[in-house]
Amino acid sequence: MRVSYYPGCSLEGTAKSYDISVRHVCRSLDIQLEEVPTWACCGSSPALKMNRLLSTALSAHNLALAERQNLSDVVAPCPFCFRRLKSAQEEMARDPALRQKVEQTIESQVNGNLTIHNLLGFLTERVGMKAIGEKIRKPLTGLKLIPYYGCYVVKPPSVTCFDDPANPTSLDEILRAAGGEVLDWDFKSECCGAGLSLSKPEKVCELTGRLVRDAAWRGADAIVVVCQLCQANLDLRQREIGLTDKKEYQLPVIYFTELLGLAFGCASEQLGLDRHFVDPLAVLKRKGLA
Amino acid sequence: MFRLTGALSEQEFLHHVVQRSGQNLLECLQCGKCTGGCPIASEKVSGPRRLIAEILSGMRNEALKNPTWWYCVSCGTCMTRCPVDINMYQVATALCELAQEGGIAPSERDIHLFEELFLKSVEKYGRVKELRTVAAYNVITKNPLKDMDKAVTLMRKGAFSPLEILSGWAKDRKVSRIFALARRTSEGGHE
Ligand code: SF4
Ligand code: SF4
Repeated sequence: MRVSYYPGCSLEGTAKSYDISVRHVCRSLDIQLEEVPTWACCGSSPALKMNRLLSTALSAHNLALAERQNLSDVVAPCPFCFRRLKSAQEEMARDPALRQKVEQTIESQVNGNLTIHNLLGFLTERVGMKAIGEKIRKPLTGLKLIPYYGCYVVKPPSVTCFDDPANPTSLDEILRAAGGEVLDWDFKSECCGAGLSLSKPEKVCELTGRLVRDAAWRGADAIVVVCQLCQANLDLRQREIGLTDKKEYQLPVIYFTELLGLAFGCASEQLGLDRHFVDPLAVLKRKGLA
Repeated sequence: MFRLTGALSEQEFLHHVVQRSGQNLLECLQCGKCTGGCPIASEKVSGPRRLIAEILSGMRNEALKNPTWWYCVSCGTCMTRCPVDINMYQVATALCELAQEGGIAPSERDIHLFEELFLKSVEKYGRVKELRTVAAYNVITKNPLKDMDKAVTLMRKGAFSPLEILSGWAKDRKVSRIFALARRTSEGGHE
């Protein structure tokens, strides 16, 4: 299967582990990722906040570039990029005047006929659990995992059209197929503070604190994420959260593709597992998985 | 609770927000389900329900200075719960544009600064250069060593390279042009 691949800025910056593990997992599943040539940033929350036309235009520019690849599907691992691509395509389909303005701004046409996937949805719905299950060589036996979806991949459902916004299950399913022990918890799609990491760190600590505390209390070996903003916010703030609680938290925060790669039999360094702030390798080694 | 008096000024503001956001705020029931789930609502940050009440009552200044829309991370929780499907982050965009046009200073300067630096990077290179944006933010806010220990640990692990801050990148002229055209159209006036 060939699909266009829109990595987004973080995956070539601070979230390289996500990018390399995505590529590895897709290669194992015989999926050819064709990177959208000269793709640009989607503008993320700053553009979405400050200028609606600019925000839609940036995503439309990426859609136009992807359309030229002549593939029917585009996959974005970053949930925010995914949501922006999807909104842009839908808003233009609904509002011809907006579409005209956007096309004048990007100076090209957008047909609006791509199927836009987030990575989790692509793997669970398009590739399918059967194909994934067949590739498992080294099941994640005995690994207690907290599935954390975050906001952007499921909310708001009228935009994402994916899974259940309050109690999503697709990540649970993938992790279970990989042999992990999936723990239930109440914060599956609660916010991590997202883009406020730099400007309002205290807010991020408050929000991630709830998540880390609950995951630790449930005896998790790791929190599993699908978003690089969630990864960074949870991975980097545990010391501050620990100071408030007079405790020391050391909960690894891992991309689901890294775990899938491990279960497919790939070595941990090749997946980027050695690059996180809280080291996941110790617990993986203890369980005989790395 | 405020009620509309029908004064022209309040109608105009409400009309602009509704037009630009595409969200029919007049349907809002003031039920508060949005604020109940909003991650950024606090004692200091009112959250979406009150913000909508301000817009509905024509309190233009209060609404444009309300920190809620600066804090809003567009998580979509409010829209997920709202019985009449109001999308708050699109309201946030409308308020941000109206505040800019009205020359109203950002009530949350740090959030605004970060977002400006982020967009500057995108405008020039077509992509955000995360490390450089973070470094610029820390220098401007006079906190250049913030989280330095964490950065050093990550660098040692190879999560990113310090060279990324220093090296030059190819400019993306196409994206710079999109920024210019988008600004021109936005300034050219909304209907
Ligand atoms: S949930 Fe919707 S209807 Fe209720 S107060 Fe919020 S915006 Fe208004
Ligand atoms: S989208 Fe914004 S206003 Fe709505 S719940 Fe999320 S942070 Fe709050």
